[in-house]
Amino acid sequence: MVAVYWKEAEIKVVNISIDGVMIQVKEGSSILKAAELSGRKIPTLCYLEGVSDIGSCRLCVVEVEGMEQLVTSCNTKVMEGMAIQTESGKVIQARKMALNLILSNHEYDCNHCAKNGDCQLQSYSLEYGVTESTYSGTRRNIHSQDVDSHPFLSYNPKLCIQCQRCVNTCLKVAGRRAITSGKAGTFTVINAPFGNEWKSTICESCGNCARACPTGALMVKRRKDYESWEVKKVLTTCAHCGTGCQYSLIIKDNKIVDTKAEQGPANKGRLCVKGRSGSFDFVHSKERLQYPLIKNKITGEFERASWEEALNMVATKFMEIKKNYGPDALAGFACSRSPNEDVYLMQKLVRTCFGTNNIDNCARVCHSASVTGLSMTLGSGAMTNPIQDITSDVDCILLVGANPEEAHPVIGMQIRNAVEKGARLIVVDPRDIGLSKQADIHLKLKPGTNVAFTNGMMHQILEEGLEDKEFIKTRTEGFDVLAEIVKEYTPERVGKICHIEPEKLKEAARMYATAKKAPIIYCLGVTEHSTGTEGVMSISNLAMMVGKLGRAGCGVNPLRGQNNVQGACDMGAMPGDYPGYQKVNHPAVREKFEKAWGVSLNPEPGLRSTDVFPAAIEGNIKGLFIYGEDPVVSDPDTKHVIKALESLDFLVVEELFMTETAKLADVILPGRSYAEKEGTFTNTERRVQRVRKAVELDHETRLDTDILIDLMNRMGYPQPQVCASEIMEEIALVTPSYGGISHERLDAGETLQWPCTDKEHPGTPIMHAGRFTRGLGWFFPSEYKTSAELPDDEYPFIMMTGRILAHYNTRAMTGKTPGLMEIEGTSFIEINHQDAKALGIINGDKVMVTSRRGTIKTTARVSNKVSKSECWMPFHFPDGNPNWITNAALDEYARIPEYKVTAVKIMKEE
Amino acid sequence: MSKYKLEQPGNQNEKLQLLYNKFKQKIESYPVGVCPLTVQMSLLQTSKNQTCGKCVPCRDGLVQLEKLLQEIIDGNGTKNTLRELKVLAEYIRDNADCAIGYEPADSMLKGMELFKEEYLNHIIMHVCGEEIQQKVPCIAMCPSHVDIPGYLALIGEEDYAGAVNLIRKENPFPTACAMICEHPCEEHCRRSMIDSPLNIRGLKKFAVDQMAADLVPVPEVNVATGRKIAVVGGGPSGMTAAYFLALMGHKVIIYEENVKLGGMLRYGIPNYRFPKDRLDEDIRAILSTGNIDVKYNVTVGKEIAIQELYDNYDAVYIAIGAQAAKKLSLEGTNSSNVFSAVDMLRGVGYGNLPDYSGKRVVVIGGGNVAMDCARTAIRCKAEEVTIVYRRRQEDMTALATEVEGAIREGVELVTLQAPLRIEADDSGTCTALWIQPQIIGTYDRNGRPRPVNAKKSPNKIPCDIILIAIGQDIESEPFEQFGIPVDGNCFITTNQCEVKVKPGIFAGGDCVTGPATVIKAVGAGKTAAYAIDEYLGYHHKIISEVRIPDARPNHRMPTGRVNFTEREARVRKLDFLPVENEMSFEEAMQETSRCLRCDHYGCGVLEGGRD
Repeated sequence: MVAVYWKEAEIKVVNISIDGVMIQVKEGSSILKAAELSGRKIPTLCYLEGVSDIGSCRLCVVEVEGMEQLVTSCNTKVMEGMAIQTESGKVIQARKMALNLILSNHEYDCNHCAKNGDCQLQSYSLEYGVTESTYSGTRRNIHSQDVDSHPFLSYNPKLCIQCQRCVNTCLKVAGRRAITSGKAGTFTVINAPFGNEWKSTICESCGNCARACPTGALMVKRRKDYESWEVKKVLTTCAHCGTGCQYSLIIKDNKIVDTKAEQGPANKGRLCVKGRSGSFDFVHSKERLQYPLIKNKITGEFERASWEEALNMVATKFMEIKKNYGPDALAGFACSRSPNEDVYLMQKLVRTCFGTNNIDNCARVCHSASVTGLSMTLGSGAMTNPIQDITSDVDCILLVGANPEEAHPVIGMQIRNAVEKGARLIVVDPRDIGLSKQADIHLKLKPGTNVAFTNGMMHQILEEGLEDKEFIKTRTEGFDVLAEIVKEYTPERVGKICHIEPEKLKEAARMYATAKKAPIIYCLGVTEHSTGTEGVMSISNLAMMVGKLGRAGCGVNPLRGQNNVQGACDMGAMPGDYPGYQKVNHPAVREKFEKAWGVSLNPEPGLRSTDVFPAAIEGNIKGLFIYGEDPVVSDPDTKHVIKALESLDFLVVEELFMTETAKLADVILPGRSYAEKEGTFTNTERRVQRVRKAVELDHETRLDTDILIDLMNRMGYPQPQVCASEIMEEIALVTPSYGGISHERLDAGETLQWPCTDKEHPGTPIMHAGRFTRGLGWFFPSEYKTSAELPDDEYPFIMMTGRILAHYNTRAMTGKTPGLMEIEGTSFIEINHQDAKALGIINGDKVMVTSRRGTIKTTARVSNKVSKSECWMPFHFPDGNPNWITNAALDEYARIPEYKVTAVKIMKEE
Repeated sequence: MSKYKLEQPGNQNEKLQLLYNKFKQKIESYPVGVCPLTVQMSLLQTSKNQTCGKCVPCRDGLVQLEKLLQEIIDGNGTKNTLRELKVLAEYIRDNADCAIGYEPADSMLKGMELFKEEYLNHIIMHVCGEEIQQKVPCIAMCPSHVDIPGYLALIGEEDYAGAVNLIRKENPFPTACAMICEHPCEEHCRRSMIDSPLNIRGLKKFAVDQMAADLVPVPEVNVATGRKIAVVGGGPSGMTAAYFLALMGHKVIIYEENVKLGGMLRYGIPNYRFPKDRLDEDIRAILSTGNIDVKYNVTVGKEIAIQELYDNYDAVYIAIGAQAAKKLSLEGTNSSNVFSAVDMLRGVGYGNLPDYSGKRVVVIGGGNVAMDCARTAIRCKAEEVTIVYRRRQEDMTALATEVEGAIREGVELVTLQAPLRIEADDSGTCTALWIQPQIIGTYDRNGRPRPVNAKKSPNKIPCDIILIAIGQDIESEPFEQFGIPVDGNCFITTNQCEVKVKPGIFAGGDCVTGPATVIKAVGAGKTAAYAIDEYLGYHHKIISEVRIPDARPNHRMPTGRVNFTEREARVRKLDFLPVENEMSFEEAMQETSRCLRCDHYGCGVLEGGRD
C-alpha cells in the first residue's frame, strides 16, 4: 500500500520508504520532514526549522540502505528510491553514543536547573536511557563562570551543548550576529554578550537566543522563577508597538511571570526586548491605581472614592457642561493602546452621550498625516501590504524616516533578514540609524525636507522615463499637474535643499524605480512635520508613479506606532470619521449610525485633539474625558498643554497609573490593562488579533468597557451590558471593513486583515489590487515648504525627537521594568562632534537645551549619528523631556505637530 | 566599512602556513621504528586539533578516542578499552559530518586491524613489541643497511676509498647504486626537519667519481672452506651473494646466460643513465675476490638441469631476475614492428642500436622501463616518441625525475588512454595504435586509482614502432618443475631466502619480489650469502677495517639541498653519455656537512649502535 502524504501536479514527488512503509514526498524535502509526514518522530537537538540545520548534534541520524555512514535527517534531502530506517539498532546505538558524548560536557544536575522538565536534552536522555555520560568531557575544564551581568539574560556554559541554535537564531531570526561562537575546535564555546560589558555589545537583549536554547544554558532570567509544570499560558497580542507580535503570557499563581513568543503572522516566533521582558511588569506594579479618586477642590489632593460616587460625579458634571455650554464644549480622547472594543465604546459615548464629534486618539500626534494623506490619495489610510510580504521576497526597500530597529524591532529584524538575503536598502533619514550601515544608499537628508526629496525622486524618474505609464494612465488621476510641479525639482536643487548629493538621489530614484518589487516603508520622520500630510501624499505619488501599489512586495507602508493605533482610528476615534472611516459629514452615513445607535447625531466634524488644547484655553472646551492618554508628556509644548488642561472646568482621566495628565484630573477612574481583559488589537498591517485575559487582580479596578457602559447609562443613553465579543459583533454590524470579523473566527485560528466584509471573506492582505479604495489614485501636487520653525542665530540647531529600543512612548509601561531602565534610564541628546567641539561639550556633559518655549536639562552624547547643526532626543524620559520645548506647529490637513523640527540652542551646564 | 578587505601580508593564515610547512616536514621525517600506536595517536591528535567544533562525533568523540588510546599506550588499557575504542571509532566513522571527523576514525580502525598484535602487546604486556625501536633512519630504510652516516662522514674527510669500502661492507655495488639507486635512505632523513633530506645518492656518486670502486682493494678473503656454491644469474643479487660468499672463503660458480655479467644493470638500463664501463668497475671489484668463477652463455634449466646443480653443489642461490616481458593481450600485437621493451633494451645492452630515423615510436606503459625505452628511442633518432598510459602522470610508477627527463627530451605523454588495438597494414606492419580515453576512478586495494572507460570515442595514434613496457615476468617454469614453489609467478622463500622444501636451495632478488630495485636485489643477495653460510654450519664474518670519523656538532643552519644538474636536454638526447653532471667538490662538502649524524646523536648510540 502506498500512502500519499503530498501530491500536486506541478511539483515533483519522490518515492521513498521509511521503516518499510512506502511513501511519496515532495522533492527537496529533508528526510526529517518526510519522516514527520509519515508519523515518525526523529529526535533533534541542534535543528530549528527554517533557522538551523547544521547537523551537528547527530541525534537525527538515520540509516539509508546502501550507505555506509548514517546520515543526518535534518539536512539530507530525500532521493528517489531511498530506503530509510529511523530506528534500527545501529541508529539507536548512534543516538545513545551522541547523547553520551554530549552529556560528557554537560552538568546534569537537573533537579537544580530551572529548565527541569522543559529541557530537550533531558527528555531525550530519559527516552534513550542515557542519563549519565561514561566519558568526562574536556571542555568542563576550560569553561568559564556563568555570564549573567545582563538584566534579562544569562549564560551557563556548563549546560551548553554547542548546538549553535542561539548563534543561528541571532543571525537568521534577529538578523543581529550578537551572539557568536568563541574559541575553536574542541574548545568551542559560545560568546554570550551578557557579561560585564553587555552594554557595549550590539546585543538588542531580545532574548530570542535564549528561547532557542534546548537546555538551560541560555536563559531568560525570569525563567528561573518557575517550573514548567507550575504555569499556564495565555495566547495574546503584545501591547507595545504596532507590529502585533503574538505571544503567550506565562502565568503562575495569577501572576504573569514570563512570555513566550508564538508563531504569529507578523512576528514568526520573534519578540523584542520590550515584548519579551517589558510587557507585563507594569500589570502587577504597585503603582497601579486601585480605586477611583476624586480631587478635593479645597486641598487639591485626591481622595479615595467609591465607584458610585465617581461615576455619578463624572456623568453629572459632563451633562451639566453639555446643558450649559452645548455638546461641543465636551471632548474625549480615546486610548490607542486599548482594544478596539474599548475604543469603539469610547467614541460611541462621546457621540451619543456628549453629542459631539470631539473625539480623537493619539494617532493625531503620530500617524494622523498617514491616515489623512493616504485617505486622500488612495482612499484608505493604512499600510497597504503585510509585513511578511514587504520583508521576505523583495528586491529593494525604500525606508524613509523610520528606525524600525528601535521603534518596531521585530519588523527591524525582518528588514535585516531581507537585506541579509540580498534585498537592496535605501535609507532616507537624517541620522545614522542602525540600518543605514547596511544600506546601499543612505540619504542623510536635512529634517523637514521630505517633500523636496520625493519630488526630486519623481523628477529623476520622469527624466529617465522610468515611470509606469500604463499604471498612470489606467489607475490614476492628476498626473499632469504633478509632473509640472516636479519639473522644478532637479537633483541639484533638491540636493541643496536636502543637504544630499544629487548623484545619490539619482541613483536612489533609479534603484527604487527599476526594482521589480520594492516597498516604501516609512514612519514618523515623514509624518511629524507641519507638512506631514503632504509628505505622506508625496510618498504615495512616488509609489503610484512607478506602479508599485496593489501588488506583492510593494506598496506604501506606514509603520504604526502603538499596538492599537490602527484600531483606534478604525474604530472611529476621529473627529471626522465614524468607525471604518465613514464620514461624519456624510448624511447617509450619519443616518445609518443614528439608526444603529438610536439617537440623533451631531452632523459637524469635531475638533482634533491638537486643536482641543487651544480651544480649552480659549474657553470653548469645558469638559474633557481622557481615556488612557498622557498628552502632558506626549504632546508638544508641555506648558501649553498643562495650561489648556488647567483651563478646563472638568477633566476626567481613565488610567492605570497616576500620569502627569492624571495629576491634573478632577476624577480618575482606574481601568484595566490588556492582560486583564478580552478584546482585539489591530496591528499596523490591518490585522485584527485577539487580546485575552490572563490574570484577574485583587483591585477595585473595573473593565473599561464596563466603566464606559455605566457612564453611558448614567448620562442617559441606554447602553446594554455587553462583553467584548458582543461589542465586536456591533462593530462588524456598523463597519463594512470589519463586517466579517468576530472573536469566534479569530479564536478558531483565522488571521484576518481588513477589509473583511463578510463572514466568508478571507481578509485583504494587499490593498488596492486592481482598484484603489478611492477609485482612481490621486497624484496630490505638493510643493516643498520649509518647516515652521527654522534655525536662526539665536536657536541655531534643528532638534528632532524619537524613540529608543528599550522604551515605549511615555514609559508608563516600560518604566515599570527595572531591567529596561537599566538598559536605558535617562534622557540624552545626540550632538554632532563638530558642534560639540565648538560648544566645548564632551560626551557625557550635562547640557541645557533651550527653545522659544523653554529650557530642559539633559546629557550630551557626542557622535556622528546626527549631522552638523542637528540634534536628536528621545522623548521617553521625564528628566529632560523634549516636549517641554517642542513646537506645537500643526499640519494643515491632519493637524499633526512638528516634533521633528524644533529650533534650539545648546549650552554646556555651568 | 565595506564588507570585503584584502588579506594583509603576515596575516593569520600566512603565519599558520609556516607552521603547516613545519608540520609537513615533521611528518616527512617521521622517525622509523616508532610505536605504531603513538603514530596513530599523533594522527588522532592532529585530527582532534583540526575539528571546527561543530559536530558531536568529531568535537567530543575524538577527544574521548584520544583518551582511550592514551590509556592503552600508558599500559592501563584492557581488552575492554580496546572494545570501547572500536565502538567509539566506528560511531565516529559512521556519524561524523565531514572528513576531519570520519577519516581519522577510519584510520584508527584500520590501524587497529593492521597493528592488532601491537595493540595486544600493549594490553597484555603493557609494552611495545620487541621489534619496535627507533633506528638511524637512512640505515634502517636502506634494504642493504649501508652505514650511510659513516660513509658521508668519510666523504667529508675526503676519504673516498674509505667511503667505498664502508659501502661495500654491506653492498658490493657502490657504483651502480651511485648511479641508479632509488635511494629510500633519503625518505625519512632527519634533516627534513630542518630543510631537506641529504642527497645521499649524489654524495655516493661523488665518492665513486673520485675513487673508482675497482681501485679500492676488497677486504682480505678468508681461507678456503672447500665448499662450492652455485649462483644462478649474474645480476646484482647473484653477484652480491657471490661477493660475500667468496669473502667468506667459499667457492662460487656463477651461471650466466648472457655474454657478460650485470644482468638488468647491463641489459636493461641504458648507458645515459649508467654507462657500462662504470658497471664494470663494480664487477671487477667483486671478481677481484678471486673465489668466483663464471660460466657464461649457460642457461640453467636448458643447458644444465637444476637438479644437477642441486646434486653437485653444497648450496644453490637462484637469482634469475624477471626477464620475460609481460604480454599485452591486444588485437594486432603480433604485427611486425611491435616489440617488448625488455627485448629492445637487451639489444641495446648488447650494443645493437636500432635505427629509428624518421620513425614514429609509441611506448605503452608508465614505469621506469617505459621511460628508459622512450628516452632510448629518442637517442635512436626516432622522429617522434609517444608514451601512452592508462592513468594520470602522477600515477606513473616511474621516478618523477625520469618522467621529467623524458618530457624534456621531447617525449610526448598521452595519459588516461588505454591501448585498444594495433592497426596494421596489409603486410602486417603496425601503422597505428588505437586508444580508448579513460577517467580516473576509485582507489584499488594498493591505494592507486583505477582507470575506467570514459565512454568517449577512441583516438588513433599513427606510428611505425610500438614498444610494450607493461612489466616483466619471471621465467620460472623449469624451477617450478624442479619443485620450487611459486606464488603469482614469484618464488616463495623465507625471509632468509631459503626455499623450504629444498634445503640448500636459496632464492632472492626480482625472481622472488617481482621487478624491483637494484638495492633490494643487493639486500637479498647479501641475506642469502649469510643464510647459506649459516646453512653450511658457519658463522663467518666479513672483516672490513674502516674507521668512521667522529661526529661533528650538527650544522643547524637551514641550508639548501644540492641536487644534480643535468646536461641540456637538446644536447644529451643526441648521445648515450650520462645525463647527470658531476657534483663539484664544494657542493659535496656542503652537502655532507648537512648530515646530522644520527648514528651519533639521538637513538643512534643506544645499545651499541642501531641500524
